Amino acid sequence: MNRPENRVDKIVSDLLRGRRLKLRGGDGEEKAAITAAARLVSARLGPQRMNPAFRKRLEAALESAPSPRWLTRRAALVAGLGLAGGAVSGWLGARALEPAHQYAPGPVARPGGELINPRNGRWVDVAALAELVEGQGKRVTAGGVGAFLFRRGDTVNAVSSICSHLPCELAWNSGGGGLLDCPCHPASFTPEGKSADDTYGLPELNKVQVRVTAAGRVEVLGTA
Amino acid sequence: MAPRATDIALDELELVYAFIYARVGNRADAEDLTQLVAMKAIPRLREGAPASAIRGYLFATARSVLGGFWSTRLGLSEAELHEDLAMAVPPAPPSEERADTVQRILAQLSDNYRRVLELRFLHGYSLKEVAAEMNSTVGAVKVMQLRALRAAAKVKETT
Repeated sequence: MNRPENRVDKIVSDLLRGRRLKLRGGDGEEKAAITAAARLVSARLGPQRMNPAFRKRLEAALESAPSPRWLTRRAALVAGLGLAGGAVSGWLGARALEPAHQYAPGPVARPGGELINPRNGRWVDVAALAELVEGQGKRVTAGGVGAFLFRRGDTVNAVSSICSHLPCELAWNSGGGGLLDCPCHPASFTPEGKSADDTYGLPELNKVQVRVTAAGRVEVLGTA
Repeated sequence: MAPRATDIALDELELVYAFIYARVGNRADAEDLTQLVAMKAIPRLREGAPASAIRGYLFATARSVLGGFWSTRLGLSEAELHEDLAMAVPPAPPSEERADTVQRILAQLSDNYRRVLELRFLHGYSLKEVAAEMNSTVGAVKVMQLRALRAAAKVKETT
């Protein structure tokens, strides 16, 4: 299966079935063939329009962004829309009253980053401090709590292993600058749990409680 | 009644979606990337960009998002993806032009390469069906498909 013709055909077959591109690091060698395949598949289908359900989701996301003045009144006038000032400010005013959306971009405070406090939690031994390598994430589980551990000297910090956007298990990507990648959509997080993309403001990953014992063991507050 | 600002954005994002779909070839990735473009564009456009710059900004963002997508998925540097990042801003909604482009690319391939890509991609044949049609084996068709795709990519880059 590792032969390039097999790997590329798997990708072609997935694309022809309308599936998402599932690529592995080694597929980079066949980048030209893979991108050509993606373009040929779309050419067969012709120009595509958004699915109505997706368009609605996008509309909701745009409207609930914290400050919707992304198209200013001036810009609207330049575009020849002739929007009445009252109507514009009324719409903007109404939107401003709505709660911030999870994609809140820019300097607006983002939700997330909450400390996980399991009900009836208990400290679970997950690793020896000596096993943790600085600069490398280690995936551990403590009952129902999944976490990535990061060592810095004699201290350890832990973030949830679940993406803050879609409920997917993150993967440690040591080759990509040391980030946690979401397999379900193009998003990555730093070892501190912050979105790696400043402008695409995903909420921070939830924080997992962790401690190092005198015996050099790492314990995570998890569930029984 | 005048269109709402959101409707104008959504119409522009329809073009972005078609642009991205034409490059990733599947709905799920196209939706994720279009949403990423929309969310990245909000703060910048909020600063008061003139309407004429909206499309240009959205497509510049789309190119950057696509570059990031391919480099993350394939482990390549942005420099290696130069041709993806240099894509021109389409002046209007995608048209039949793309289909013509594909025919032009296929026309420059050898008969066998063109045939395997036509059957597989334009007619949706399985490998087995392509092999039967071309009096070949599944294994040989797989190899030919890979070589044909590599050749098609070279045609694209030089035209």
